[in-house]
Amino acid sequence: MTGAEVIFEDVSKFYGEVLGVNKVTLHIPPGITSLVGPNGSGKTTLMNLMTGLIHPDRGSISVLGLSPRDPEHLMRISGYATQFDSAPRWATGMEFVTTGLTLYGYSSTEVRERAWQALEQVGLTEAAGRKVAGYSKGMRQRVRLAQAIAHDPQVLVLDEPLNGLDPLVRADTINLFRHYASQGRHVILSSHVLQEVDLISDQVILIANGMIVAEGEIRGVRDEISEHPSQFILRCRDASRIASMLFCEDHVTEIKMNDDRLGLLVMTRNREEFSRALTRIALAGHVIDGVIPADENVDALYEYLIGGGRS
Amino acid sequence: MAVYKRGYQRYQGPLTTHWQRLLVLPRFAWQRLFQQRLVVILLIGSLIWPLLCAGFVYLSNRLDLLQSLPGDLKHMVDISGKFFLVFMNVQSVFALLLAAMTGPGLIAPDLANNALPLYFSRPLTRVDYVAARMATLAGLLSFITWVPGMALFFMQTGMAGGTWFLNNWRLGAGVFCGFILWIAVVSLVALASSAYVKWRIIAGGLVLGFFFLLAGVAQMVNAVLRVDWGSLLDPVRSMYTIWSSMLGVAPPDGPGVWSCVSVLAALAFLLGLILERKLRPVEVIS
Repeated sequence: MTGAEVIFEDVSKFYGEVLGVNKVTLHIPPGITSLVGPNGSGKTTLMNLMTGLIHPDRGSISVLGLSPRDPEHLMRISGYATQFDSAPRWATGMEFVTTGLTLYGYSSTEVRERAWQALEQVGLTEAAGRKVAGYSKGMRQRVRLAQAIAHDPQVLVLDEPLNGLDPLVRADTINLFRHYASQGRHVILSSHVLQEVDLISDQVILIANGMIVAEGEIRGVRDEISEHPSQFILRCRDASRIASMLFCEDHVTEIKMNDDRLGLLVMTRNREEFSRALTRIALAGHVIDGVIPADENVDALYEYLIGGGRS
Repeated sequence: MAVYKRGYQRYQGPLTTHWQRLLVLPRFAWQRLFQQRLVVILLIGSLIWPLLCAGFVYLSNRLDLLQSLPGDLKHMVDISGKFFLVFMNVQSVFALLLAAMTGPGLIAPDLANNALPLYFSRPLTRVDYVAARMATLAGLLSFITWVPGMALFFMQTGMAGGTWFLNNWRLGAGVFCGFILWIAVVSLVALASSAYVKWRIIAGGLVLGFFFLLAGVAQMVNAVLRVDWGSLLDPVRSMYTIWSSMLGVAPPDGPGVWSCVSVLAALAFLLGLILERKLRPVEVIS
């Protein structure tokens, strides 16, 4: 599996005396992976490390079996869009993308075709002939994304790619990420919009103070957090009766009833026991319309693992 | 973890060579440089002296015309090492001005616009980037240095015949190698200034200041300490000594040619070190 993963082995990076990341060990499989953490937590450092823009002081990194110290091979399979507004203002959107593509060694016909396809994928074909200087923030974000995907990379690394995008473009961009992931590629992104991270990510990496706090599928990570009871929302008609039955269970720590008396918020320390209890209640003839996990999302994980200071 | 069908196929088509890809950067840079009127004017102005020298070469090979010239002038149009040394001296000043005008625009804007991550997110190393930027300057400066220099040399060969070539091939080699050395030094100074100062105009001033200030400092050291090794601090003078040796002309008084070579090599190393320190894809502010 190592040749198909982005691997960090005990990686540390210091900027002088300032900690970038410390003893990071990660195995990132294909799919959409989101890096989540407060400002200055080390998300961009991780991205710069995996794209070879900086090198670790300790440990090793491998991107699908390639070393980030070998840009000649690595950057053929990787695309990186940084969070900074670095598009040259003299160039048109098309020129910006084609200039980058020529450095990959494609023929001029191939360059134009690929640039056009990339601009099409980010919905910028109409503005392709306009100067980047005249672009809005969202358009610049998209043209940066276009230059990162134009060479059809296998590993796409995107720093805050959804910032500044309007809801429609945001949805299109998320679909593009999903399309990439559906082909077995890596899409590694950082985002501050936790709801979106929740929606699109196959796995999350929570990072704080340069250290990995949690890594994996959101549900898997949630299961590992034992000190916070799991929360479930129950939609049911006989809420008070069901609440009294649930209170008899040792693992249930708290129950709140909805104002409409048709729903409960249940907190449990044992998800399996809770599941069995619900089965017993249902078999006893009580109607349960739905059970929704209330804290199996990045927002909750962030709150539990990193706490306040959300960026 | 979602299970995905692995439908991705990498590009398998032909690619241009590494060097062809590197030349993309100079190509785009030249396009932009030639849009600047001052650069074009300076380039054209730099070709006046080579044209005059071509006239001298022509005259020196036309005996009938030469007979009609007064004695002193006859001596002046003698095509020798001294002739090429004077030619190189004049053209090196133009090369310096051109480097000061164009060099700072090569790296400083990339640093100011935070564009280095864009370059290094391509199949491009830092060495490649510096090589491409140096190639931009080298191409431009070649146009006014060794290219016209060699044109003069071959013009003289064509007019004076094979015997002259056999006796003076060293002049051609001296012109070529001497100018290449000068281009390397001037380009390194221009790129290091460009990497050190993000403002183009200040970086341009720094390039000129570097040469003129060091020349002044060298004179001061010589005068105050009553020595001659102070001249080693002046890269222009060091280069002149090396050129003189290459062209078989008596070198000026002062440090020998190998001392000058050593000092210029040390200077090149220091400038390379500055580039290595400053050209980082990610700027680290401690």
